[in-house]
Amino acid sequence: MDLGLQGKKAIVVGGARGIGFAVAEILAREGADVAISARGEDSVKDAVAALSRYGTKVVGKPCNVKKADDYKAWLEWAIEALEGVDVLIPLSSAGGGMGSEKYWHNAFETDVMGPVRAIEAVIPVMTQRKSGSIVLVATTSALEAMGGPQAYNAMKASLITYGKQLALAHGKDGIRVNVVSPGPIEFEGGNWDMIKGTMEKFYQSQLRQQPMGRLGRPEEVARAIVFLASEAASWCSGSHLVVDGAFTNRTHF
Amino acid sequence: MDQPVTHRPVTWDTSKMDVKRVVDVIRVTPETNTSRTPVDKAPDPELGHDLIPAARYYSEAFMKLEWERIWTKVWLLGGRADDIPEPGDYICTEIGKESVLIVRQHDGSLRCFPNVCLHRGNRLRPEGIGNAQAFRCMYHHWTYGLDGKIERLPDLCTFPQGGPPGMTLPSLPVTEWNSFVWFSLNPDVEPFDDYIAPLKDHLEPYHPERMAWKRDVTVEWDCNWKASVDAFNESYHVQGIHPQLQWYLDDVNIQIDCYERHNRYLIPFASISPRVAMPSTIPPAIDEIMRHAGMDPAEYEGRVSDIRRDVQLFKRRHGKAQGKDYSALNDDQLTDDYHYMIFPNVALNVHADDVMMFRQRPHASDPNKMLYDVWVFELVPEGEPWPERAKHRRFKHGDRSIGQVLDQDAYNLPTVQAGMQSGSFPGLWIGEQELRIRHFHKVLDDYIYGPGGKQEGDL
Repeated sequence: MDLGLQGKKAIVVGGARGIGFAVAEILAREGADVAISARGEDSVKDAVAALSRYGTKVVGKPCNVKKADDYKAWLEWAIEALEGVDVLIPLSSAGGGMGSEKYWHNAFETDVMGPVRAIEAVIPVMTQRKSGSIVLVATTSALEAMGGPQAYNAMKASLITYGKQLALAHGKDGIRVNVVSPGPIEFEGGNWDMIKGTMEKFYQSQLRQQPMGRLGRPEEVARAIVFLASEAASWCSGSHLVVDGAFTNRTHF
Repeated sequence: MDQPVTHRPVTWDTSKMDVKRVVDVIRVTPETNTSRTPVDKAPDPELGHDLIPAARYYSEAFMKLEWERIWTKVWLLGGRADDIPEPGDYICTEIGKESVLIVRQHDGSLRCFPNVCLHRGNRLRPEGIGNAQAFRCMYHHWTYGLDGKIERLPDLCTFPQGGPPGMTLPSLPVTEWNSFVWFSLNPDVEPFDDYIAPLKDHLEPYHPERMAWKRDVTVEWDCNWKASVDAFNESYHVQGIHPQLQWYLDDVNIQIDCYERHNRYLIPFASISPRVAMPSTIPPAIDEIMRHAGMDPAEYEGRVSDIRRDVQLFKRRHGKAQGKDYSALNDDQLTDDYHYMIFPNVALNVHADDVMMFRQRPHASDPNKMLYDVWVFELVPEGEPWPERAKHRRFKHGDRSIGQVLDQDAYNLPTVQAGMQSGSFPGLWIGEQELRIRHFHKVLDDYIYGPGGKQEGDL
């Protein structure tokens, strides 16, 4: 199956590690030009170097999504550097945390306004070209009780609603919008890697709840994201795909 | 500004170890040190690569040598001075087969006596702290004053030989230092200041007298006391038994300093071990360090790798307003673990806000057993009430949890003790990261065989 990504231009916000990096890598491997951001200069540099081996155009620049003006300038820079944009996948996240009101602000600025500002930057370009694809990344923590009541879960939930409404509003412009909710994903340097080291018993209890007896890998989510982002998913819009190895208990009727 | 590299705190090549990253730790140098606690790297002693004979961990003959040449010769930690502020307050503590009474006198000074009635040998008091007007033996009511003099010997006239010499308990050397009391079973022990050198400068800046009891636990461990000393004398075991600490401290970039008989290592805390990938979110234990310092981790905008330095700067800036006077400490001391070993049996994790220390005592008769005392003290901020003293608890190995990290430390010790007695195990195969273990055993050798007197074939 041809994903039709050859020559496409993709922006991955938060593309230096974990699921974001895996998304950027598949995009590059499939022939797309890619622009990535991350907080740290070194991590951007390393990721760009790693992604460049597929021979497409790969650009990157550090950016703190929470700084609205810098972030907007970054988005403009990315669109310009790629000479357009066909695919937007904003993944950067402030992560979880309880016990401080500040976590709500962090999650709002990064997990909500990160995607919102990126969408606002790309919609005019995509509308003009009558083509574009956006994939938002929520979480299974928005669907079921996980990790306690916290800003991360609630803020991520808003993307599911927002994504559907964007799809309804922009179908006429040729823009598709989908949402992917990954379950727990493990990779080196990721949260579950740290949990495995710091809370071995809790980690094992999570494994026992996993129907397939393991956590997911970044590329297993990334493949679903890239599929929805690609031309191969031309009739998928407004969908919400849970990619969790059947971890969540709920049934989707 | 380029400065000549004179301070090389880590002696091994960290890039060749089992690490994922090479980390250059920001450190206080001898030039920038603001504390009386030195940070200078002591030259590593040449201690060779020999095995440390396993038999010294289970041999009764060696245990006897230790008793004769170490335990009855050196200064020993007795307890906390603030447990005995008033005349008549006493600490009764045991070491091996001996038990001593450390007693506050009417003039505020301390005296130390063997805890044994001169009549028939009965113990005068059970182990613990208390207050007494006089020490009356429970058997025939011989009664001793706070100064050890026999105040009453019932029916003295029926002892034609009179009372014991001088009508007094023998006096043992005792002193008070840095909020702790120290005693010796050796009447001719060297001056305490000579014995403790050079650690007065090292440890006084922490002002442990501003810290209050938080935990006081004794566990009967099923191992030789030296297996316990060894367990806390190296950081190499972190990757083996404390995987969670790799998201809390840097177990690779460690400075080891060996002095005449004591030693230490300096471990960066609030750090991520180079053995694991750098996480992008703040690990729970480091989150805890930040909160304890008064920071809100949710507000933190820096990288995880910057947290250690930022905690130092935050404490420096806000300590005073929190009633915590850090003025005698350098920046590294505000986060790191300066870990000392006071020969023969005290391990101290000293920190700006607390001290967690272990006293490791030999069993009275069995080389395969020991007493492990855990003492924790916490800084009481100025103006806050002094908390109630933690109650002493005592139990057997594994009966109760003493916290995740110490449980992990304890877990292997009985099997170490068993395995060391295998005919296939001649002795300990010690690496550079365990230099303090080698140093400890060298000091032990010098006490037992005389300085440099250990011969081929000696245990």
